[in-house]
Parts: sequence; C-alpha cells; structure tokens
Amino acid sequence: MELFALEHKRLWRTPRVLICVALCFFYLIIYTGVISFQWTYFGSQGDDPTNLYSNTPNGYSMIRTYKARADQYGEYWTDETLQNLVKDFQTMIPHTSLSSMYDWTVGLNALKLYEELTDNEQQQYQPLIHYVDTEDLTDFYTRRQDYLEHNLKVNQQNMLLTDEDVEMLREMDSHVKTPWRYEWTRGWEKTLTGTLPMLSRMAPYLAIALGFLFSGEWHNSTAPLLHTTKYGWKKLARVKVLSGFAFAVEFYALIAGGTVLLQLIYLGTDGWDMPIQMLKIIAVAPWNMLQAELYELAFAFLGVIGYTGIVMLMSALVKNNVLSLVLSLAFVYVPDLFARYIPMWAQDAMQFIPMVGYPTDIFRMNIFHIFGKGIWLPWMTITIPVLIGVVCIPFAIRSWARRERA
Amino acid sequence: MELSIDRLTKHYGHKIAVDRVSATLTPGVYGLLGANGAGKTTLMRMLCSILEPTSGEVRLNGKDVAGMGAAYRDVLGYLPQDFGYYPTYTAAEFLSYIAALKGIPRDWAGKRVKDLLDTLDLTPVADKKIRTFSGGMKQRVGVAQALLNDPQILILDEPTSGLDPKERVRLRNLLSEYAGDKIVILSTHIVSDVEAIADQVFVMNAGQFIMRGTVPELAQKVAGKVWELTVPREKARLWQEQVTVANYRHEGEQVVLRILSDDRPSAEAVACEPILDDAYLYYFGAKEA
Repeated sequence: MELFALEHKRLWRTPRVLICVALCFFYLIIYTGVISFQWTYFGSQGDDPTNLYSNTPNGYSMIRTYKARADQYGEYWTDETLQNLVKDFQTMIPHTSLSSMYDWTVGLNALKLYEELTDNEQQQYQPLIHYVDTEDLTDFYTRRQDYLEHNLKVNQQNMLLTDEDVEMLREMDSHVKTPWRYEWTRGWEKTLTGTLPMLSRMAPYLAIALGFLFSGEWHNSTAPLLHTTKYGWKKLARVKVLSGFAFAVEFYALIAGGTVLLQLIYLGTDGWDMPIQMLKIIAVAPWNMLQAELYELAFAFLGVIGYTGIVMLMSALVKNNVLSLVLSLAFVYVPDLFARYIPMWAQDAMQFIPMVGYPTDIFRMNIFHIFGKGIWLPWMTITIPVLIGVVCIPFAIRSWARRERA
Repeated sequence: MELSIDRLTKHYGHKIAVDRVSATLTPGVYGLLGANGAGKTTLMRMLCSILEPTSGEVRLNGKDVAGMGAAYRDVLGYLPQDFGYYPTYTAAEFLSYIAALKGIPRDWAGKRVKDLLDTLDLTPVADKKIRTFSGGMKQRVGVAQALLNDPQILILDEPTSGLDPKERVRLRNLLSEYAGDKIVILSTHIVSDVEAIADQVFVMNAGQFIMRGTVPELAQKVAGKVWELTVPREKARLWQEQVTVANYRHEGEQVVLRILSDDRPSAEAVACEPILDDAYLYYFGAKEA
C-alpha cells in the first residue's frame, strides 16, 4: 500500500503529467466548456454569423431567457406544442437569426415528419419551418411511428437489420412513453452530443501522462536499481498498473466532474426526465436525458480505463518513451486515418477501440450480432473498450517482468 | 556466509565479456580492479542477478541465486554504475521510495533514511530535489539507497566516481566500517580506492581475473621491478617513450621517474618498495591502464 501511495504520488508530481492535466483541463473545461457556454455556443449572435467569437459573452443569462421562453409551451410535447413553437418561430424570424432562437433544433427535428409539406417549387430554398402552415402540423406521434417503421423497413431491406433485430428495436421503442416530457432541449443537446462526447479528447493527454510509466524507467536509468530491490519488477509492475489506473480515474473525475459542474451551473437539472427522442425523434432507446448522460459518463469512464490499459501495455513493451507515446496515440488516431480504405467490418470493429467509438450511438438503431445473438450497439461500445484495456494488463506486467533478466 | 562464483561466463554474440570467472567470497571488502571494458560491470550485474549468465552460476551459501528471487534481493544492496534517480524527488523521498521497494517497514525505513542521510552528510539537502545535486551528492544518494536494507552483500559499481577527495575518504571509511560480517564488492579503476580498504583485490582484464590476492601480495608480484631514477628534465620524455613510467615528479630542475622494468633501467636507478599501482600498471601497461 505504501509503495502504491509513493508511486502514485510520484506520478502526480511529474511535471509532464501536471502539464498534461492542466492543458486538458484548460481545453475541455475552460475552452470547450466555460467559453462555449458563456460565449460561442449560447451567447447571443453577433454581427458575423459565421464567426462564433463575434457572439456576445452572455451565455448564462441567455440560457435563462431561452428556458423561460420554452416553459411557455407546457410540460408535454403535443401537436399544439409543435404548432406554437413553429408559429412563434415564424413570427420572430424576420427580427432575429435562426441560431438565436430558443429551441429551434427541436422544431427542425420534429418537422422531419412533415416532409410532404415541403414546397419544392420555392425559388430560393428555405427550411420548412419558415413557411409551413402550422395547422398542418398534426398527428405527431402517429407520424413518428410511421417514420420509425419506414426506417426499420429500409434497414431491413438493405440487410442491415434482421427480422429479430427489428422486433428487438420495436420492443425497445414500445417503452418510450408518450406524450413526451418537454423542456428547453438545446442545453441537453449540447451536453449529450457536444460536451460529454468531447471527453474522448482526453486520449492524447492520457497517452502523454502514462506513456512513460514503464518506459520512463529506462529513460531514468532506474531499471537496474529497481530490479535489485526485494520486490523486484513484477510487484512494481502491479503497483505501477494500479497507480496508472488510479491516476486515470482521478484524471477522469477531474475532467468529467468539471464538465458536469459546468452543466449544473449553466444549464441546471431542468428537463432531466425528457426522453432522448426530444433530441432525435427516431431514437428507440426508452431513456430519459439523465439516463443518457449516465450512459455517456460511463462510456467515457470505461473508455478511459480501457485506453489506460493500452497505453500501459505500449509503455511496458518498448524501452523508448517516444515510441511508447507514438504507439499509444496510433491506437486512437490511425484507425480514423485509414477508415475509408478498409472493409466495412473492420470499420465497424474500430469503434470498439477505447476512445474511438461515439457515445451518441444511443441515438442509433445499429445491432451487432455475436454468436447469432443481436446486441444493441451501445452495449458493445461501452463494454468492449474496457475489456480490451483489462486484457492488456497481464501482458503489460508480463512484458515488463520479462525484461527483469536481460 | 559464502558467495561463490562458479565459472561465470557472459557472451554478447561473439564477444566474450566475462570468461569463466570463479571465486569464493566470504565477509570482507573485495576490490574489483580493471580498465574500462574489462568486464567488471558485466560481472557485477550477473552477481546482482540483473543479467543472466551465458553459463556458470552464482551461489549464496550453496543456493543458486537465480532461483532465490526476492530472498536474494532482500540481502543485496547495489549501486549501479549509471545510477538513475527520479529528478523530481527529494533525497529523502527517493530513499523512502526505494525503502518501500525493498520492503522495509515504514517506521524503520524513516529512521534508516534519516541515519543514512546523516552518515552521508546529506541531511542539509535532504529536502532538495535530486536534480539540483552535484555529481558527488547524487553518488552519495546512490550509496545511501544501496545501504538502506542493511544488506549482507553490498555491490558498488564505481562508487567513488564523481566524489571529491574528502568524500572519497569518507566513503572508504564508511565501507570499511560497514563491512564487518558482510560481503562488500566494489569495482573501480582508481587503484588507491581499492588499496585503502580492500581485503582482497581481483584484477580483471578481457573478462578474466588475471590476478587476485591481498594488496601487499599483489604489490609483491612486482617486487624488484620498481625503480626510481632522477634525470634532467629534457631527458624525461625520452625515458617515458622507452619504459613504463608509473610516476613523474619534479624536483627542481630534475625529474624523478618511477619506472616499472624487469631489469634495472640504468646504473643510477634505485630499487623501490612496490605498491598496488605499480602492479596494476606493470600488468596492464601504462596506456591500457
């Protein structure tokens, strides 16, 4: 225990590690967090709509304004809600820009169900929301069901889903209760499709912080010294692995905790019980926003643990710090570079590499088949990365211990 | 306690670093003397079980140390030649870390660290980061870590490198005092370090022990071959080219040469009492040494 405490303390005191943590904190909490919430994403739009930095840094108060406006539409999403929202939008549009609207994304999403109302004759293209007659926006839930069935059928015809898959997805969808709870959605959209998926950007910082865990002993020339101590390399390897994981958990807690704290400060908890279908109407998971957030936090956490395992293995396999770092980063970035040149099955498999997949798969209908059994993709993308990391550990310890005697 | 080295050999491809070296070591101080590349470090690394021998074995009280694992490491203290440390650690933290790796109980480790810092005159800098230390101070931290577990077998590879004369004397005294019922092996190419404290000296060349014995025994091997000759300064260089000169000392306009030669090099040459340096130089030749 004492050795673990000392090793862990040593890791945290390494300047490289501290710089990594500080940079990651700045990037994910300050830059893509505070600055985004207060200025570029929620701040009211400036003169140049293509430049987010021309926005006014008044995100905190704007969010409160948006929320107050959304509250006018009632607690549940009905045809009337959609009609009122679109009506208000059409009234406001001459006076303001689209992105300054309080809940335009939910309106645009919902209007996907009314494509037949699109005016294909219009001379200058405008989205349906600008001109649709709100009286025509009826039967939302029936239309949504038809839209879902249509998509299921198309996927089935394209051999992307089997009959069993379709049944499974229908069964999931049957648990989505209607009418849907409604609150202002843009905050949750930002959280579930923006800030939480961004946690996978911790990968390079983790690689730099932990890539030298084992290989660094060669760099410091401490390897012969460590070998002649009573506990030897094998026990030290276990301690290093444990402190590596402890560091990863603490690093994650700092960044994810900071992200959640920002969310609470800026967005509050309102709308936690809205179904995720408010963000993507065709999603089938019977989850509310809070459940989705917990999934995404778990996804990021297990990804961090899985990637930590890979980084430690790379560090134990090679004696060179730079090579260890390059190999660790290659796991995350090389698949992306070659994605378009490899077969589809390999592309599918790549999303199971820790920190490579997307937590937003919860909005999708993909089913994976293992030994003939269909499994909803998000369950795979959350478990396989951590398993990969765990499998790496015995190899890391073995590889390090094998070098005990040159 | 007996540490036996039995025909220990290490090959790196076709290169033979250590060639069938055998010895039996009982408590005492052993000096391993040899030029750079003689095989001292390779031998020491095999003694520490860091390096696997190509053939032969090292036994502690009859047991092969390769199979002893932690039990052997528990009685071992080692200072590698290229002593590595963690730059961001203070001396006290580094020693505490190594103490934990050596499995020393926490309360005893604290006291031991304090004592060793004191003994090696590191107390004033105990809380300073090692990266700010001079070479000699780092080396003393290295010696301290080797002594942490009060090892029965202490192996020090070039322990005096980087130390100033005062520190070298202090370290030599410390090792002499420490030896007692323990085996202390130190390698060096500085003859005076070995001469001062070693009970037995092994002289290594090309991976083999070419001489072994006590300091007087080794010195006596060149008895009758050490001469002093006083020559004018302008002739000194000529003599240096012709014979092995162990020392060169100015005395006014004259130069006193200490010459190693089987025969009296000149009628004026006076026979001298040999020292270990003479034996070392005689067998290695001035250039190689």
